[in-house]
Amino acid sequence: MKQSPRDRKLEEVLRSTKLVAGGFMGTDTRHPIEIIEQDVIELGRLGLTAGQVAERMAQLTELAKPRLGNWIDHATLKLRIKSEDYKGTLVCPWPHPGRFEKRITTVEHAETGKQISWTDLNIHMIAEHGFFEGKGAFFRLEPTEIVNILFEDLT
Amino acid sequence: MVIDFLLTVLIISSIGAALALVLVLCEKYVVNYGPCKVTINNERELDIQGGSPLLTVLRDEKIFIPSACGGRGTCGVCKCIIKTGGGPVLPTETPFLTKEEQAADVRLSCQVKVRNDIDIEIPEELFNIREYETVCTEIEELTYDMRRFRFELKEPPMIKFTAGQFIQLLCPKYKGSSEEVYRAYSIASDPQQNNFIDLIIRLVPNGICTTWCFDYLKEGDAVKLNGPYGDFRLSDSDAPMIFVAGGSGMAPFVSILSEMQNTNSTRRARYFFGGNTTKDLCMAEEMKAFEDVLEGFEFIPVVATPEEGSNWTGEVGLVTEAVQRAYPDLSGYEGYLCGSPGMIDAAAKVFTGLGMSEDKIYYDKFA
Repeated sequence: MKQSPRDRKLEEVLRSTKLVAGGFMGTDTRHPIEIIEQDVIELGRLGLTAGQVAERMAQLTELAKPRLGNWIDHATLKLRIKSEDYKGTLVCPWPHPGRFEKRITTVEHAETGKQISWTDLNIHMIAEHGFFEGKGAFFRLEPTEIVNILFEDLT
Repeated sequence: MVIDFLLTVLIISSIGAALALVLVLCEKYVVNYGPCKVTINNERELDIQGGSPLLTVLRDEKIFIPSACGGRGTCGVCKCIIKTGGGPVLPTETPFLTKEEQAADVRLSCQVKVRNDIDIEIPEELFNIREYETVCTEIEELTYDMRRFRFELKEPPMIKFTAGQFIQLLCPKYKGSSEEVYRAYSIASDPQQNNFIDLIIRLVPNGICTTWCFDYLKEGDAVKLNGPYGDFRLSDSDAPMIFVAGGSGMAPFVSILSEMQNTNSTRRARYFFGGNTTKDLCMAEEMKAFEDVLEGFEFIPVVATPEEGSNWTGEVGLVTEAVQRAYPDLSGYEGYLCGSPGMIDAAAKVFTGLGMSEDKIYYDKFA
């Protein structure tokens, strides 16, 4: 895939370890644009958009925030959620101002016990850039896994 | 027609991007700003090679401006006054500077590059901040995600600090980070024990510095620290105090309680330490021991959700709820907080709701 200088710079930032330990790309050798495109296609196949996924993630984070790191059961979904915050901020790797509190939300499916975790930065990157991180990255979110856990009401 | 238009947009965008790339490369590899002069407080002059951020320039000269993020422009702590030569305020600075600060020439020293002679003002006490060569001599597991690290000072061999202050730890390059970074941690040792420093560090999942501390740092390793920094400390009043902490927020209170013991303080203090489960509680015996030597002190551990079979008989609920249960009125009290930003915000809200004056609530979110 031919990349513009801007895309090349973005890939360099995403692969670097300047902003998060290990970077955002993990062991994924694909270009970020390819990752984004393929994840969007996968989501579409599952009947959702990145915006819908990010919105659900943000709702769950907001629900858990007041519990200061303790689990809370979702009223209607079979989920329990906790949101823990840490000192400092995470910076969006895209070239625009974007700083997010260092908060990690973990969601566990009450029946399967499957868990996924994300940061506030993940929510932003999914909502604004459609980026779920590269495979092998610490906070890589697999679209299929997210949908299976967070969207049981739709499947 | 449409194709022509798109082609034109593409060509113009490509030219713009190419020019931007050339500028960045020139800035990095070609431009030589030559020798520049940094004048500090109208007294001291530094002759340096231009082109680096002011924070780095000063650090190279052993002048340490406090910074919790190590110069990434994400904490907004490294403020100083740049009277001349700083250029316009950058978009990366504005989120951290009030209008009043901008009018007073306050800037983020990590974002301002020294490209010409500049004239700055920094607090005199920053000249007392030193860099310490240390050796990590002890690593103690406190909980599943918290450890206490002891650093024995080698050069200089002693440190003077006030209980409640923090230091910066230099995290070297390692597999997870291609750059050296600094991170701020509260000092968790007795100020009278001036030949070592204890830090209590909680593992941040995928955090650059805490991952290094937990997975790479070993006893016997050399570590660089600098400090001390910060205004978080006990006030001079006699007002009764409420301490609230969670997780590694324990750190400054170890130091503060040690100092209270050193000075035979009889000031009333209650320390609420919150954990999500009993596994999050740590150092309870050490804290309880202060009750025997400090007349007006009480330690109250609080567990939000005790595990089944844990036989927990202490306070249950959020740490903020325990404070609310204990006090109908906190006017006349002082509050001291350390922990996650969310806990600090929640506790400060509870304090003010119970009548504590806002200016009597002390915390350091980055400590």
